[in-house]
Amino acid sequence: MYLKIVRNDIAKSKLITCMITLFVAAAAMLVTLSAVLIVHLSSAIDTLMKQAETSHFLQMHSGAIDQARLIDFAEQNEQVDEFQINEFLNVDGAKITIAGNTLAQSVQDNGFSTQSEKFDYLLNLDGQVIEVKNGDIYVPVGYMKDGTAKLGDTVVVHNKPFTIAGFLRDSQMNSMLASSKRFLVSEEDYAAIQAAGTIEYLIEFRLKNLADVRSFEEAYNRAGLEANGPTITLPLFKMLNALSDGLMITVILLISLLVVAIAFMCIRFTLLTKMEEDYREIGVMKAMGLRVADIQKMYLAKYGVMAAFGCVLGFTFSFILRDALLENIRLYMGDTANRSLVWLFTTIGLLLVFSSILVYVQFVLKQFHKLSAVQAIRFGTMRGNARHAKWLNISSNKRFPINLFLGVKDVLSRKSLYATMLTVLILATFMIIVPQNLYNTISSKNFTTYMGIGNSDIRIDIPQGDQNVQHVTAVANMLEHDEAITDYTILTTKKFTTISSEGVEDSLKIELGDHTIFPVEYARGKAPVAQDEIALSVLNAEELQKKVGDSIPLIVQGETKTMTVSGIYSDITNGGKTAKAAFSDDSTESMWNVIYGTLSKQSQVEKKVSEYADTLHFAKVSGINDYIHQTFGTTINAIKKVSSAALVVALVMCVLVTLLFMKMLIAKDRSPIAIMKAIGFTNVDISIQYAVRSVVVLILAIIAGTFLANTLGEFLTSTVIASFGAASFDFMINPLTAYVFCPLALLSVVLLATLIGTFQAGHIKIMDHIKE
Amino acid sequence: MKKLVSGEQIAKSFQVGTERHQVLKAVTIDLYEGEFVAIMGPSGCGKSTLLYALSGMDSIDHGRVFFEGVDLTALNDKELAELRRTRMGFVFQQPTFLKSLNILDNILLPAVRDKRTNIVALTERAQSIMKKMGIADLAKRDITQVSGGQLQRAGICRALISSPPMIFGDEPTGALNSTSAQEIMDILASINREGTTVMLVTHDPKIAARTERIFFMGDGSIISELPLPRYTGIDLDDRMAKVATTMREIGI
Repeated sequence: MYLKIVRNDIAKSKLITCMITLFVAAAAMLVTLSAVLIVHLSSAIDTLMKQAETSHFLQMHSGAIDQARLIDFAEQNEQVDEFQINEFLNVDGAKITIAGNTLAQSVQDNGFSTQSEKFDYLLNLDGQVIEVKNGDIYVPVGYMKDGTAKLGDTVVVHNKPFTIAGFLRDSQMNSMLASSKRFLVSEEDYAAIQAAGTIEYLIEFRLKNLADVRSFEEAYNRAGLEANGPTITLPLFKMLNALSDGLMITVILLISLLVVAIAFMCIRFTLLTKMEEDYREIGVMKAMGLRVADIQKMYLAKYGVMAAFGCVLGFTFSFILRDALLENIRLYMGDTANRSLVWLFTTIGLLLVFSSILVYVQFVLKQFHKLSAVQAIRFGTMRGNARHAKWLNISSNKRFPINLFLGVKDVLSRKSLYATMLTVLILATFMIIVPQNLYNTISSKNFTTYMGIGNSDIRIDIPQGDQNVQHVTAVANMLEHDEAITDYTILTTKKFTTISSEGVEDSLKIELGDHTIFPVEYARGKAPVAQDEIALSVLNAEELQKKVGDSIPLIVQGETKTMTVSGIYSDITNGGKTAKAAFSDDSTESMWNVIYGTLSKQSQVEKKVSEYADTLHFAKVSGINDYIHQTFGTTINAIKKVSSAALVVALVMCVLVTLLFMKMLIAKDRSPIAIMKAIGFTNVDISIQYAVRSVVVLILAIIAGTFLANTLGEFLTSTVIASFGAASFDFMINPLTAYVFCPLALLSVVLLATLIGTFQAGHIKIMDHIKE
Repeated sequence: MKKLVSGEQIAKSFQVGTERHQVLKAVTIDLYEGEFVAIMGPSGCGKSTLLYALSGMDSIDHGRVFFEGVDLTALNDKELAELRRTRMGFVFQQPTFLKSLNILDNILLPAVRDKRTNIVALTERAQSIMKKMGIADLAKRDITQVSGGQLQRAGICRALISSPPMIFGDEPTGALNSTSAQEIMDILASINREGTTVMLVTHDPKIAARTERIFFMGDGSIISELPLPRYTGIDLDDRMAKVATTMREIGI
């Protein structure tokens, strides 16, 4: 019985049924994709780390090393399961050529390693530990992705040619956000090129219990062992690997939530319209003694069928997009997802979509309870509170053309009717603007300030070396006398000791210099200015349990100095554990120096970078834009992909919803349209009136949507970004896209859909509807 | 008298299920300026279809319709709309108003489409017509706040707002009680006396008897025509008897 009613009903309203099913399908597809991506990403990272046996604790170190002392420490410490020291031959990018092109422009620290002995293995694209032959080289997979290298190309280092025998996955340095990249060569070849660069050491530990990593780190610091370089622990490796795809998944999830909301809106609208149409019938059924629950069951059955079909369809569609979205994860981390887990999460996602639709339909159907059988039969219509905007009268309208007037008046008079379209358009605006703003923000130069890098034009890195002081002075001199340079600052990182609240000594890398010239973004507080002020990175502040205004003891030149925390900033550089201060110090040897500079003309950046790179052989010179592009490139591309997809999806949805809405509106308004035609309004007049209604709703939606995107959207996005290490966060809005392009795109599709949707209004026969 | 509306060989059919139903079969009719005409006939005889065809609201399959000498079948949507707006007025059986507008605005609606309209003068005109119809104090009311008779008067006000030479009424009293119906007929008669041509479609002999020429329709054709003298206010029974006789003669 129910099936028959449902079948008849679906046959009667094919277009609307199709459209709602399609929306459910889109929502189901996105939820499925999110589930698939989440499972793949997390299990791929786990598998990669398991196969590669990633270090639990990595201390990078350059300079002299006392291996015997380290071995002794590792043997004495009960937490240590395995220990090894790997070498990393850091070679200037200019000295490496791949297929004839140098890596001089690369902002990465490119270097060479041999395969590890005990753990931290470099893997091939099948996830196996690589055994490399003499003369062969394995190149980081990122260089295959960006087209720098392909299989069989020749890599020349220090006049020694290598053939690319494959590409490698590096569980520790895969991500473009990790600043070093390891190339794998054989032991023999490694020895042959050793003179080409400087050796850095990767002091690596695997612990018996990963949970102890924090206390192990303290123990390592207390022991005063080699620590001239960043320290990275397993959780940060995970985070670096997850960041790019994690952001993409977040955006997809956000979009899928919006699509579900849009599907709800369409269901609400069609259901209420249908109820209004069937009002008298429902009243009669009620009068005959049918229970409300029976009537509800009928509608529920219909939407149940549509939701189920939509879910199946969406699940099927998800297979089309799955590969494209998984490409990155598969390439960098491998395709090792647990199939049953994928199925489990997909099923849960689909069930959630399906059941939420049923619950929502039930919720809307509650209106049946309020329905009076007598009223339904007597009046045949729902006696809604049709309060129209009484202040808006034709008799007092001297300015607006009548079609504009009638369009606006109708929207104001039937607010609840247009609320559905308004909500959908607000959601669509939100869906377009938030990813666009996110993309704009992370691709902007300013974004680096959220990541712990000052906003400048040029960055010069001077690594530690014997002539460090002379090098820095030379660069400073050069910048001072270069007229093209408007401003510069030298930041020197040194290692100091602090005492934690538990009384334990802890080492703290502090970047000294003037932090007000190219400030980073402070989540709380401000940059250190006074001699006794210090700013901490978010990770350090958490670890040391400090907040702004707290004091922190620091041992400088053998004396304990009390510093005050002036600010907390987010940082992803150097393992995320950094600090900034403004005091001067000559007692401690510097670990590395970074010099930032700005140019009077932006156009000169490229020229200056190559000019400095030629002169300053000891330093790594990069333009900030290149730095961003190469560091965040993958992430930016992922977000760009998603934001373009969001734009297309949102616009398609606007077309479909407007079309659906207009068709239903025309069906509902047959009688007033016939009246207007009878008293002399043309088809064009009527089309204009409907276009005005759409545009009025759209303008309201764009205003509300943009406002929401810039407040709620920013909050949501910054919450997500915060979980990846950047604490405070403001959208950087491109006014042209956000305030011109998006509204124009929306306007054109909505107008087009309105014109198509209201095309039939002209064909309404006056006679048929006036006599009703 | 000058010809105002003229239908030549009008034919029109509708698809009903699988069959094609011929509603108008080569109807020819002429209406003259200042006439008060009724079209009578049983349900489904085609009388409303004829009214919609003569007013250009519905297309026809064959034949031609002239209004003030203009061939309506040759006009496009825009030209037809303008003609309806400026040269014709319509009164329908059911209240055909926009729910979102009050009574006054509904009356003004056909006239404000013209960009050159002076809204102040127009509002004054609407108010004076409403006064004449006895609904002056209902101007700001919603259409749901007045009675059927009052609504029909408002409908007549709307038909008159552009001072058209012709008013079409499709069962204008069909939904009213007999007192209200006679009141509406009084109003239409007075409009006619002022020079406006009025054509009504009705199945009620009492309404038709108040006009001055009655066309009787049956099965898509005009079967008979009954001219009557001007109604004096006391001869309604005589006129009704004549109508009844004609109806008996032609068997409707």
